[in-house]
Amino acid sequence: MEKFTLEIIQDALVATGDEMFQTLQRTSMSPIIYESLDYAVGITDAKGELLAQGNGVTAFLAALDAVVRATLEKFHEENTLNEGDVVIANTPYAGGGTHLSDVSVIYPVFYTNELVAFTVNKAHWTELGGTFPGSVSTVATEIFQEGLHLPFIKVREKGKVNEAIVDLIKSNVRLPDSTLGDLYAGIAAAEIGARRVISIIEKYGLDTFIKAKEDFLDYGERMCIEALKKIPNGVYTGTSEIEDNGFGEGPFPIKAKITVTDNEFIADFNGSHSQVKGATNLAFSGLVTGCRSLFKAITTPSMAANGGAFRPMKVICGPGTIVSAEAPSAVSVYYEVLITAIDLVWKILAPVIPDKLPAGHLRSVCATFISGIHQDTGQFYIQAEPLAGGWGASSSHDGNRGQLSCGSGESYNIPIEIREMRYGIQVEQYAFHNEGGGYGEFQGGNGQYVDYKVVSNGAYVTAAFLGEKTKTWGLNGGHDGSYNYFLILRKDGTQERHSLGTNIALEKGDTIRCVTATGGGYGNPKDRPKDKVLLDVKNGYISKKEAKAFYSVQPRE
Amino acid sequence: MRVATDIGGTFTDLVCLELNKQTGKPTGVRVTKSDTTPSNFEQGILDTIEKGNVNLGEIDFFAHGTTVVINALTERKGAKTALITTKGFRDVLEIARCNRPDLFNFNFVKQPPFVPRYLRFEVEERMDYKGRVLKALNMATLKAILKTCTEEKVEAIAVCLLHAYKNPEHEIALVKELAKLDSSIQIIASHQVTREWREYERTSSTVLSGYVLPIAKKYLDQLKEKLGQQGLRDTPYIMQSNGGITTLNDVKNNPITMVESGPASGVFGAIALGKVMDRKHLIVLDIGGTTAKCALVENGQVKITTNYKIEHSRTQAGYPIQTPVIDIVEIGNGGGSIAWIDEGGKMHVGPKSAGAMPGPAAYGRGGKHLTTTDANIVTGRIHPDYFLGGELQPDYTSIEKAAKPLCEFLEATKEDVAKGILRIANSNMVNALKLISVNKGYDPRDFAMVVIGGGGAMHGADLARELQVSELIVPLNAGVFSAFGMLMSDIRRDYIRTNVITLVPEQWAVIQSTFMEMEEEATKNFKQDGYANKDIKFTYYTDLRYAGQEHYVKVLVSDFDANTPLDTIIQYFHKAHKKQYSFELDTQVELVNFHLVAEVEVEKPDFPKLVVQGKTIEEACFDTRAVDFDDLGIHETAFYHRSQLEPNMKIEGPAVIAEKATTTLVTPLHIVHVDAYGNLLLTEEKA
Repeated sequence: MEKFTLEIIQDALVATGDEMFQTLQRTSMSPIIYESLDYAVGITDAKGELLAQGNGVTAFLAALDAVVRATLEKFHEENTLNEGDVVIANTPYAGGGTHLSDVSVIYPVFYTNELVAFTVNKAHWTELGGTFPGSVSTVATEIFQEGLHLPFIKVREKGKVNEAIVDLIKSNVRLPDSTLGDLYAGIAAAEIGARRVISIIEKYGLDTFIKAKEDFLDYGERMCIEALKKIPNGVYTGTSEIEDNGFGEGPFPIKAKITVTDNEFIADFNGSHSQVKGATNLAFSGLVTGCRSLFKAITTPSMAANGGAFRPMKVICGPGTIVSAEAPSAVSVYYEVLITAIDLVWKILAPVIPDKLPAGHLRSVCATFISGIHQDTGQFYIQAEPLAGGWGASSSHDGNRGQLSCGSGESYNIPIEIREMRYGIQVEQYAFHNEGGGYGEFQGGNGQYVDYKVVSNGAYVTAAFLGEKTKTWGLNGGHDGSYNYFLILRKDGTQERHSLGTNIALEKGDTIRCVTATGGGYGNPKDRPKDKVLLDVKNGYISKKEAKAFYSVQPRE
Repeated sequence: MRVATDIGGTFTDLVCLELNKQTGKPTGVRVTKSDTTPSNFEQGILDTIEKGNVNLGEIDFFAHGTTVVINALTERKGAKTALITTKGFRDVLEIARCNRPDLFNFNFVKQPPFVPRYLRFEVEERMDYKGRVLKALNMATLKAILKTCTEEKVEAIAVCLLHAYKNPEHEIALVKELAKLDSSIQIIASHQVTREWREYERTSSTVLSGYVLPIAKKYLDQLKEKLGQQGLRDTPYIMQSNGGITTLNDVKNNPITMVESGPASGVFGAIALGKVMDRKHLIVLDIGGTTAKCALVENGQVKITTNYKIEHSRTQAGYPIQTPVIDIVEIGNGGGSIAWIDEGGKMHVGPKSAGAMPGPAAYGRGGKHLTTTDANIVTGRIHPDYFLGGELQPDYTSIEKAAKPLCEFLEATKEDVAKGILRIANSNMVNALKLISVNKGYDPRDFAMVVIGGGGAMHGADLARELQVSELIVPLNAGVFSAFGMLMSDIRRDYIRTNVITLVPEQWAVIQSTFMEMEEEATKNFKQDGYANKDIKFTYYTDLRYAGQEHYVKVLVSDFDANTPLDTIIQYFHKAHKKQYSFELDTQVELVNFHLVAEVEVEKPDFPKLVVQGKTIEEACFDTRAVDFDDLGIHETAFYHRSQLEPNMKIEGPAVIAEKATTTLVTPLHIVHVDAYGNLLLTEEKA
């Protein structure tokens, strides 16, 4: 009967992950946490093996266990962890780090004076100081310009908050209430998780708990191996590129060699370009986290995340490349490189497993950071958010429209009605565009236009839309989709087109038009049934001209 | 006589409360069930009336709950609906919130919108976030829009404009003009459905309201007519999702409020029972064939939320409906839930269910999978004579066959597999029960648990033990409790308005005037139904948060009037926030939503008491058999007919109490008391 008890403990751990997830969402002060859900929460064992995780974004899959392991490396022997301690860290180059904006809260859990587990979360705080509002810059050249670095420090020691650190944070960020609110939300979520873990141990005993978590990790590995067996063995290679580093230089190639066997999956990124000037760099720990999300998509997408399910995966890359950048390189736009790396492995494997991976999607977070002084309240605002676009078609369905990139997951757009109250912005349109592309037996999903008109007295925009020169890719005969870019429509009638931009000055009345890509098509367009083409025309997803040119269908006038 | 009818997925229930004509006190309850008739729901009601031999001419009060709305939605049988919205925003409905709950699946398929793009129209107009007109409404294109709608055979039009929650002026003008131009199409605008912000949620709510509008109106009209023909004097009251009833005319204007009326009335039945029994803090658990639903009642109140979604799951975003619905957590675990083993060798129970056809293996109708019900049979917890209401004997051969693959894989006996299934099913339910209690900062020891539905009493004792609730209540007629609840509901309307303000003394006038305006609206609505001012009872809630947060905590402002100090409200909030999230902040507090509850009390009968006839416990006992209580051991256990139990009887566990609609399991740790109303109260013996 013990078998069933173990399962019940495992389910309780997953439920605890869910609870921590909700707590953080509901108490956070950063829209990027509570709407975009740019965070993850988890539980690890005392050694840092991942037991359960609740994710808002797909990409933080290697972030939590690694940050716990890095914590354990720093705190041992005399300088040890005590009951009541809370550690915070945002180091990008180690311990599952990404960029400074993503801050981890690490909470050691003690049971009768013994360290038994960790609860941990990592969330994107809207403001951490640095040269530009939102702590993101496409023109940073060193990490020192990107904000406050918190290198695994105890913000709470034996239950007592270190006020010196709190003061230090407060005086180094632009929105101190929001930043500290996020800190307390992170601690609250971890604390609740810790309480639940302790009550599980109290109920079933520590030995049974340890047995359950070992069994759970082995189970994850078994599930993963079963799935891996269904992917054709082989060695697959491909190349992608980062088009621009924010200084007009580029493109910079990224290379990957994927080896699949029945019990192993190796992603080798050696041969990628060296780390670049600018912030389009990804640290190795970020690369691992990206690879894990693609790996999970093709092996155990419906299973709760656990460390065992990643045992068969290995990532290889020598130091100092654009996907394994080292200190003190700037990394604040790491997410664009991360998605490019995910997209590369995706594109390499999609032809082999089209039932698991569709054609190329928008492949960019299309994140915008707009800051200014609110016209009515006089308060400083930063609107930070990812944008939705088109996804690729697959062997069984048309591409989805209006979805955030693969890096986001249970993330939400910001409602217009909330946005217009909070920020000095008015939305002029929020609509699908038809900039062409994505033709196939299954049609790629349309990208979007989002127009932000500045109504405050001046504002600044920082944004990174990679894919300004490269279309989303079609699959098995499907056509490529379209581009990501943004326009500044000046009130004098002139306009500028951008891919990366930092702190572009705007005046009241100027409009930022964000354009996200249409996804790639799947299969030969000639195989698309006529009634589907006609319905697309009726709905305005494609034009009559396109119907005729690419599908040989002539709609009635 | 007072009658309530409830249409469920499988059965239509009728509860008839007979009253003594002189004293007005209840003398007895009659319960009738008949099959639900999906093509023609009102027929099911007429069937129960006939079967129950009820004379509609003698009915003083008739309440009715129906699944007609949720059915139309989930089966996509609603009207062809169009949408008119602000220029530049017709794709809001399809873009939705851009989220992907199935976040590791890159080959997911997004749920399609209820209105296709070619039926989503735009008009020139624009309000700003303060509700000021930026661009005047231009109605010149309406004729062309209506022409297309007619050509496309559109039956309903939903109107939702940006910031209309703040200022509905343009929507009102549009609705008026549309009705003038074409009276054949039914029209509903967002401000009639919800006054909360978030344009996607509001658009979705309005579209779904439009989608069910024609079918619901038609249903309600026919119901009224047919019941009238049978002699019913007064128009029936209709159950809503907020746990209250309302008039038929009122619900016709906005039928989406009926969407979750079934579960709501079950919970309100439990609250009414709690009042009689003097239990204010309750956890209500309803276990059916496919799902289990639970809700928490604090101080006799259940939370109302507008974050309701249909077809929402771990893998799908669902469709939001911003209508007041009682806060229920539902999980895919019921009597028919199937046990299965995944590729990693782990056993799960549910969410897939064997349903009514083929049903659990024990039904012997070809069910090949072992279910929770089968596990209850294997452990001896269900008496064979009481299986499926005593209609048939369990098919043991079929159970044996269904258990075999699980036994082989797990290298376990059938008995161990059965116990494993029950442990996992119970653990799933405990996790759901914790979601509404422990996770929200409540201590289950302060609560009594009321179990209803076919499976509630079967699992209640184990769950009560695990959660450590103070006591377990198995009400009389637990199987038809939803219908029962309707007899105990008041007329209730919830008014919710978003109006974001900082809680500082200067804003007091705004708070005052907003609630006043809402009161006036409520009074006007009630007046149309013939209710006077003095009959209306108002309750005031505010949704509060720390400035900068997004999510809010609902705070009851008791005895709200001009003298209520602002500080009291703020202190309530700090306390509530700390309870739920373990910390409070020294930050300004913001009010997001005003929430006014307007109720008119309906005269309600008492619960009928059981007559003591002097029967003995020995007479009630009909069998003794071995029952497996898992970790509490296998015991020779006495089985009792519930119908033979009388008030003040006391039975020590282990015991099983059987009735047609359900079975109550009493573990060796529990004692049962039968109260004056025939309810079973289970408590744990003090060790």
